[in-house]
Amino acid sequence: MQNTIELQSISHDFETAGQRISLFCALSCTIRAGESLAIVGPSGAGKSSLLSIAAGLEAPTGGTVRFTLDGKSVDALTMRANSGFIFQQFHLLPELDAIGNVALPLRLKGKRDAFDLAASWLDKVGLADRARHRPHQLSGGEQQRIAVARAFITAPRFIFADEPTGNLDMHTSESVADLMFGCARETGCGLVMVTHSRPLAMRADTSLLLAAGRLAAAA
Amino acid sequence: MNWITLSLENAWRDLRDRDGRISIATQTALLFFLLTLTFTSASIQRYLADNLEQMLGSDLVVERHGPLRRDHDLALRSLAPRVSVTQWNDLTLTHGGQWARVRLKRVDDAYPLQGTLQIGDTPVATHRASRRGPQIGEIWLEPRLATALKIRVGEMLAIDRTTLRVSAILFHEPDRLMEGHSTVLRAMVHNRSLDGDAVTSGTEITRYLIAANESQQQRVEEWVGEMLPDATVIRKSGGQHPLAGFWRRTENFLGLAAVMLFFMGAVALDMTNRRWLALMRYRHAIYASFGTPMRIGMLMALGEWLVGFVMSIGLAMLLATLAFHVIIGQLREYFPGLQAMWHFIPAARTTGLVFLLLLALQVPSFVQLSRTSLLSLIRNPAHSRDAWGRLLWSLSSVTLLAAAYSDNWLLTGMTLAAIAAALLLMLVLTWCIIQLGERWGRRRTGLLPFAFFLMRQRLFAKSAQVLGLGLCGLLLLFTLMLMRDLGGTMERHARTHDGNLLIAEAQADQLAGIQQWAGTTGSSVRTLRPFVSAQLVAVNGTPLGAYVQKPSDTFTALSEPIRLSWTDTLPTNNRIVGGQWWPAATDNWQQLSAEPEVMTDIGLRHGDQLTFQIGGNAYQFTLVASHAHTPGGGSITFWFQVPLSARAHIEAPTRYMGSMELPVGAWDSLAGLWQQYPSLSLVPLKELTERFDQTLGIVTKVTSGYAAMVLLLALFVLAASISGFSADDRRKNGLLMSMGLRDRELLWLNINEWSITALIAAAGAVMGTWIAGGLLYRDQFGLPYNPDVLWVVSIVVAMVSVVCLVGYWACRQSLKVSVRDLLTT
Repeated sequence: MQNTIELQSISHDFETAGQRISLFCALSCTIRAGESLAIVGPSGAGKSSLLSIAAGLEAPTGGTVRFTLDGKSVDALTMRANSGFIFQQFHLLPELDAIGNVALPLRLKGKRDAFDLAASWLDKVGLADRARHRPHQLSGGEQQRIAVARAFITAPRFIFADEPTGNLDMHTSESVADLMFGCARETGCGLVMVTHSRPLAMRADTSLLLAAGRLAAAA
Repeated sequence: MNWITLSLENAWRDLRDRDGRISIATQTALLFFLLTLTFTSASIQRYLADNLEQMLGSDLVVERHGPLRRDHDLALRSLAPRVSVTQWNDLTLTHGGQWARVRLKRVDDAYPLQGTLQIGDTPVATHRASRRGPQIGEIWLEPRLATALKIRVGEMLAIDRTTLRVSAILFHEPDRLMEGHSTVLRAMVHNRSLDGDAVTSGTEITRYLIAANESQQQRVEEWVGEMLPDATVIRKSGGQHPLAGFWRRTENFLGLAAVMLFFMGAVALDMTNRRWLALMRYRHAIYASFGTPMRIGMLMALGEWLVGFVMSIGLAMLLATLAFHVIIGQLREYFPGLQAMWHFIPAARTTGLVFLLLLALQVPSFVQLSRTSLLSLIRNPAHSRDAWGRLLWSLSSVTLLAAAYSDNWLLTGMTLAAIAAALLLMLVLTWCIIQLGERWGRRRTGLLPFAFFLMRQRLFAKSAQVLGLGLCGLLLLFTLMLMRDLGGTMERHARTHDGNLLIAEAQADQLAGIQQWAGTTGSSVRTLRPFVSAQLVAVNGTPLGAYVQKPSDTFTALSEPIRLSWTDTLPTNNRIVGGQWWPAATDNWQQLSAEPEVMTDIGLRHGDQLTFQIGGNAYQFTLVASHAHTPGGGSITFWFQVPLSARAHIEAPTRYMGSMELPVGAWDSLAGLWQQYPSLSLVPLKELTERFDQTLGIVTKVTSGYAAMVLLLALFVLAASISGFSADDRRKNGLLMSMGLRDRELLWLNINEWSITALIAAAGAVMGTWIAGGLLYRDQFGLPYNPDVLWVVSIVVAMVSVVCLVGYWACRQSLKVSVRDLLTT
């Protein structure tokens, strides 16, 4: 079944201190489930904004975004309900332990077996023995692995990752990247990530460079 | 539904957090105060209604000071089938050297109209019912009176020239309504047992107990309203207990106090809401990343808030129940037989009102929460503080509460105006001092310039702290000042009597006897001033009840006859403060001078026409002057005075008020004087002082209780203001330490910050107190406003020291963070 995100000639700008800043203009791109896409580029190019638009978090100032799930056109809210996120700062809830954080999305959807599924995902990411530990008791890499498990547990159609290895060292970045790509392949979801890391970008099926307001295939 | 369970878990977890505890404590304190007030008020209202139902002894009572004229008496009896007349006098009974001040009730053959009397043979005997009162030649005494006079049933008691036989001990009368709140000793005789002149006094009350059907009662009430302007009608059904007005005023005053406490609670809650909002925003942004609709997120936030509120209700209900039982115990002195009972509907109404108020305070936070976006986890959008929105909602909540509880919009308005002025001043001072301080410190080194620099970066947060602390300081300072001044005034009033025995009321034919007695006992009569009993019934043709706009102690006093005196020359203990005093021997006798406090309280102006009912006739006077009491010339002074020439035109018995000085040995001879003149009203200064001390004690208890509540909420505000910024402070301290600043320097930096904050808050508190005192003291409390600067300064120093100490302690806690902790944040 077709699950896609189509960006058609989108432009985006914002206003700050009385000035209008244009990030990009007339970009077009199609993102498909089952594929991985990396967006690279210099700081301030608008990578995070492009990711937000693709995730349906904000509307572009020009152009259109089309979301298709199971062959049907859906709105941004429905898209978000079928998406997951992985953040640079991990953003685990400090008051919940590891298993609580992983189970959280399923509990919010009213799933009774949330904790069972969370336990199996913790095992999958190699942290079954840290289930009862709070985020401040875990290292950065462990927190990000839990964040990955949390993002995938609801079987989303798309995962959006904003600098997922930005706060991690090289070795930890690799293991987190292995986890992310492995889970994406296993679940068949589309993985869209913004990254500064060239090795990470090279692991994606497609790598696009956003620079000077234009999107082009990355070298 | 799993998200409901999650919501409950979140609520329970958040409430155990420091901010959660402060929030719960603040809500509980507010609910506790209002629920205690509600329970107490409902019990008293119920007591008054039952009291009216059971203790009126008739369907209707017409009461006035003095019996009706014959034609009025006949007219009244023609309107109602059954009437019984009772009369009351205060006099002193003596027996075998013992004496006691007594309220003597004289009854007719028709008494009791409804119900039965309960009598016995000894003060501890079994009661038996009696359907009639004492016969001619008999007297019945209440148990405490019999004990005080050391007299038994069967013995004889002399009143003036009449000897009566004590034939029973009186336990209960069916018409004890008015006496329900009085602890004065009681006695009862048949109205033909005594010579009327021997017992008449200015305080005589005549009551016509009437048994009648609804239409007859209606006709009686209409007739009384038309023909007897100085009479009061009390009905069993649909009527109002005489104490209802007093209690309603007390309740409304306490309601205004609740408004002030709510203001403080709102400040504390606003500070804790700051961190609550940040936490909820973060949490909801993460939920949004899972695709959770905003609707579910908002429902969860509302549910978590409701859990906290429900917990507060539980705690507050428990505490209010305990407090309410204690208060009812204390109030039984004024309302004998008052029972502590549960009143669910009033409690539910109060809880509902507080719920709406607290929800209103929460609305700005919910609105901001609804704008939460997942984007905040990707980049940091600037969150609008919406300070004006929060302020508007807070003011609306306070106005709603004031509307619900206050009956005196002038008092409410003045109080809120004083607070608003203080808050504005504090805002301006904060902005000016911090901006100027930062500019001053730009090219300087040292901790103080750096403190100003840091405060300038957090100007909004600092302003919020200053306002919160300043408001608490204002309310605390004003309450303490009022308590002190109220007590001081009462003490001064009690202590300025010259002589140790007050002649509250003596009749003209008793004066010679008093002088003779004074001569034989070595006592001296210091002052004697004549007066007549007069009741103010109208101003400029408008009945007094319709003329007076707001309730006051003066209005309550004027509902009874007062003492009207006459003089041509201004008394030595008075001075003119307005208008023009009359010349000696003036022909224009219809002039009047009044005390300025009385004029202010009931809204009189020079030129007003005042109508007094004196001795059954109406007399009109023009208010031409105002006089004030000056100490040093004697303590006897009168609210109203008329020219000497007026006396010849007024048909009423002259009575006298004055003071005497008794040597130690003379007190035992007082019984002889009362034996001769039972209606002579003498009050030892000690008794007056005790009465004042008792009243002062009650006033002190009430204001101390209120001051304790203010202090408690002030502590919550202080805790919230420290807690609200503790994370920022920890981060700031950690960063500064990473730059090389040492612990001691950081402590000094924080003390500088807290000192500046506390001093600005103190300045606002002092200014607000000064404004409030100027507006409220004279107009609402009848007190002169002369602030004791030294006392105010010492209290302010104490408050600033407490704030700095707490700030110092908080800083020491936050210094326990290490730079390493900062790295892992």
